[in-house]
Amino acid sequence: MTVTNPPVVDAGPGIPTAGAVLRVVVVNGSPSRRSKTLGLADAVLDTLGKMLPIDVSRVDVYRLGPGFTAATERDDVTPDVEAMLRLAEDADLLIAAAPVYRGSYPGMFKHFFDLVDQYALANTLVLLAATGGGEHHALVLEHAMRPLFAFFQALTVPVAIFASSGDFDGVTLLNPRVHGRIEMALADVLDLLKSRATGTRATADS
Amino acid sequence: MAFEIGIMTFGEVTQDPVTGRLPSPRQRVRETIEQAKVADEAGLDVFGVGEHHRTDFIGSAPTILLAAAAEATEHIRLTSSVTVLSSEDPVRVWEQFATIDLLSHGRAEIIAGRGSYTESFPLFGYDLRDYSDLFREKLDLLLKIRERNPLTWSGRFRAPLVDADIAPRADGETIPIWVGVGGSTASAISTGRLGLPMAMALLLGPLTFHEQTIELYRASAEQAGHDARALPVSINTHGYVGRTSRQARDAMYPYFAKGMAENNHQRGRGIELPRAVFDAQASPGAGLLVGSPQEIIDKLLAYHELYGINRAIIQMGFGGMPQKEHLEAIERLGTEVAPVVRQEITARQEVAA
Repeated sequence: MTVTNPPVVDAGPGIPTAGAVLRVVVVNGSPSRRSKTLGLADAVLDTLGKMLPIDVSRVDVYRLGPGFTAATERDDVTPDVEAMLRLAEDADLLIAAAPVYRGSYPGMFKHFFDLVDQYALANTLVLLAATGGGEHHALVLEHAMRPLFAFFQALTVPVAIFASSGDFDGVTLLNPRVHGRIEMALADVLDLLKSRATGTRATADS
Repeated sequence: MAFEIGIMTFGEVTQDPVTGRLPSPRQRVRETIEQAKVADEAGLDVFGVGEHHRTDFIGSAPTILLAAAAEATEHIRLTSSVTVLSSEDPVRVWEQFATIDLLSHGRAEIIAGRGSYTESFPLFGYDLRDYSDLFREKLDLLLKIRERNPLTWSGRFRAPLVDADIAPRADGETIPIWVGVGGSTASAISTGRLGLPMAMALLLGPLTFHEQTIELYRASAEQAGHDARALPVSINTHGYVGRTSRQARDAMYPYFAKGMAENNHQRGRGIELPRAVFDAQASPGAGLLVGSPQEIIDKLLAYHELYGINRAIIQMGFGGMPQKEHLEAIERLGTEVAPVVRQEITARQEVAA
């Protein structure tokens, strides 16, 4: 999906923006082909696509096959899986989306990040999204997902997004309160992008 | 909108926790029809039968019970509470309710639900993974059948209909179709978007528990271009009208606790509802409609004020309430509670208008 709206971010004079498209990568941790987790990710992408030109790719960790599941180290993965890992590592914005399984993110979701290079996501924007059977699962975002990306020294977006089964009709997100939460999270993402594009950094990039 | 008060039953076949007796299904079908008759005579507005496919309920074919109730009653509206539409053929549902409508001179009604009990899915060959899609599609078909005849329609879960003649038609203009909602926000939103009346099933918890659900229902209806104020909302909830506050609680508790233990399993076991927890549910701030006639009046008015509901359907026989006590409560609801509530709400509406 590539959305070709004019960019909302005004980078100011001297900073090249022409053709700048945000590379968004969704890492989807749901084992189901049609899932509430993807329904939630789609709602995020729809909203984001209206704000910025984005280029969206998706990694379905449960569809990567034996070249992924049999790998215990990065060197073991097949070229197609390697390409998927690179895609995630090179994202401008990574959306980590997972259902709650046995009290946490599913195993294959963790396995994917076990193969990601230790510093590849450093300072990368990561938006956390999760779905669960009920509200009592909501803190999976803070107690399981955020620490995982803290290890990577990634820049997780302060507002993480959770939706319960009851918020969906099938896999379509209906609850306007969750949509409101998405808007809030993405407003922060936009702020961060804007300061990255225009702001001065404390330490110069080499 | 006139305020409606009614009763509903699942046709419980439960061993009496006090006497140890297990009623026979034959006895329970007769008692179910008697409940409808007494409710009708007491002036109640609605009689509902729920659909359950288990040995401890006689309600697997609610339309047949409603047809029998049609013959035993004169004024009361006959509804399903609920029809598990997801595992039904909407054509058959329409035919059956239209027949009840003819038998009862226009008193038939359908409350269509997704089903909180899921036994019917494997029985009729449906996959629970299609839970939401089944309901959406079947409700769409049912509404179209109501709207026009003959009908051409196609969907995923049944053979297409080509210029199909679906008969009989309703006795009057139409048959009301409500949607039963268990409190999930998405169900309330979908129902609001369709502009259909919503019957909300309440179980336990504070009186204010479903404020958000009702707000979202009305907001979604408005957004979709429906007049939310014209859409009826009902609460379907457990309760018991006793002689006194104490007698009502004492009469209801052992049966309700039994019903909860047999229908609300965790780790495969029923949960014992302690009396203190039950009593807390009966307090003015909690949702359970148990108490003296005056307490029920007060609580129904509180519900009306809070949610703007137009109807309350009370299930008083959960857990196998003995017929004698059940009928007494129906009588009190019809003669002591309903007239006061209707009059009070009408008066309030006149003041508001």
